[in-house]
Amino acid sequence: MTLDPASSVAILSRFRKIGIIGVPPLEIIRGANEHGLVIHDLDEPLVREDLETASPYLPRVYCAILRTAVVNALHLELDAIYADTGPGKCDCALHTATILAEALPIPVICTKNTDTVACGTPLCQARLPLIDRMLAITAGVKSAAPCQNPPDPCTPTAAFWGVPPRDFSILGLFPDTTHIHGWARCMENKTPADHALEAQFNPEVPTVFFAQSFCAKTALARYLAKKHPHALYLDVDVHTTSSARAKVQAFLELSGVRP
Amino acid sequence: MILGDFGTSYCKFLDLDAPGAKPAIIATKELPRETRVDLATGHNGKRFADRYVNELIALARGGEALIEEDEYVLLDCGSRDIKFIRYANGKLADMGWNAECGASMGFTIELLERYYELDYTRLRVPEQTFSVTCGVLGMSDIFDAVISGVEVAEAVARFVKGIAINAYRFAGSPAKLYLSGGLCDNPLFVGSFPCQVTALGRFVLLRGLEAEAHHPSPPPVS
Ligand code: SF4
Repeated sequence: MTLDPASSVAILSRFRKIGIIGVPPLEIIRGANEHGLVIHDLDEPLVREDLETASPYLPRVYCAILRTAVVNALHLELDAIYADTGPGKCDCALHTATILAEALPIPVICTKNTDTVACGTPLCQARLPLIDRMLAITAGVKSAAPCQNPPDPCTPTAAFWGVPPRDFSILGLFPDTTHIHGWARCMENKTPADHALEAQFNPEVPTVFFAQSFCAKTALARYLAKKHPHALYLDVDVHTTSSARAKVQAFLELSGVRP
Repeated sequence: MILGDFGTSYCKFLDLDAPGAKPAIIATKELPRETRVDLATGHNGKRFADRYVNELIALARGGEALIEEDEYVLLDCGSRDIKFIRYANGKLADMGWNAECGASMGFTIELLERYYELDYTRLRVPEQTFSVTCGVLGMSDIFDAVISGVEVAEAVARFVKGIAINAYRFAGSPAKLYLSGGLCDNPLFVGSFPCQVTALGRFVLLRGLEAEAHHPSPPPVS
């Protein structure tokens, strides 16, 4: 269902546990935080169930993040789902929300996040393990509070451009001095529909342009990789294959990036 | 120090402590289980050595050792996959590894030669080609062509040419390319590329390992 923003916030008081798909507008997250709701980020693997359980609802050849969201939605006991289906997410999420609304007995509320207030991107530029920073960024969508004690920025030696992957293991191949660009940066900034920020990259450092297989962002990732003087384009589906790992490893090592 | 390139169909070895020794080849299915080497690459390699170099790195290092130019494309066509690296200004500019859609192309080419009792050194490069993206799927084109009256040898040659063209496109359609892998010995395959080809043979990855052998061991991969 699509409600006006005020109504989407007002009905939060009826729920205790909600799931989110994408990054709903900050006022919704703030409202959920104020009501003390439990928020589950359905884009992340949360339940130990086979991804196949999503197949009656979504094609097997579909974004693995949304297939994961469907599996979570089917197996978690939620009072409602807030799915961002605006310019900060994608048509695939819109269709997934339509299907879930019919399949589940709970309200599935579609939002359109057009927030423009930049909250900053300290995690994207910090010197810390890439997996830890990506986990912090994805955890950040459940809170309206800005990043506490933001880490200092570092000089990058490599960059990762893209969305938080379905399988974070690929991030373990990058050095701590990897800067994050693309939609993950928009996520930390709490401006998921900022397409200009999403398209930014640093031509000075070797960059892996990553997209989930079967996502429209594969086109943007490949296009930007062609523009970048030293890039690797990579798309990965559910799990990081050994050839994807080898490509990243080889790209970083042959580019002279130290672990 | 013994180096090993553990491929899907063949394994190649080189003993660096035996001056002037030539690489040895053994069919993978005949490889003793207890085989151990000091430095390995290839998709089976991790099981046989403490130190492993991934195939793209071995290919790139082999290219650096064997090719004098600053700008080149080096394509490796294996039994199971295809991979390439492109260098510009002496530095890595692009790379690719197709283990999914490039699956089993080399393996299928060898299989067809044995099954149909053909000799690739005697087959002409055909005018026509099949649009082949996968060894397994491409086989049905052969069967369809044979049913429609095309000679078996001609149908297989079209298939081989289709695979060469697919690999060439995968490598970015260069005007010239260096070729690595066992298919270098297949004149039909080499002649099917629509560009200038320099065949470097099947020991490029071993040469890459040789270069890596002189590097200090990297920290273990997470
Ligand atoms: S990865 Fe792409 S298709 Fe999947 S949810 Fe994100 S934007 Fe949509």
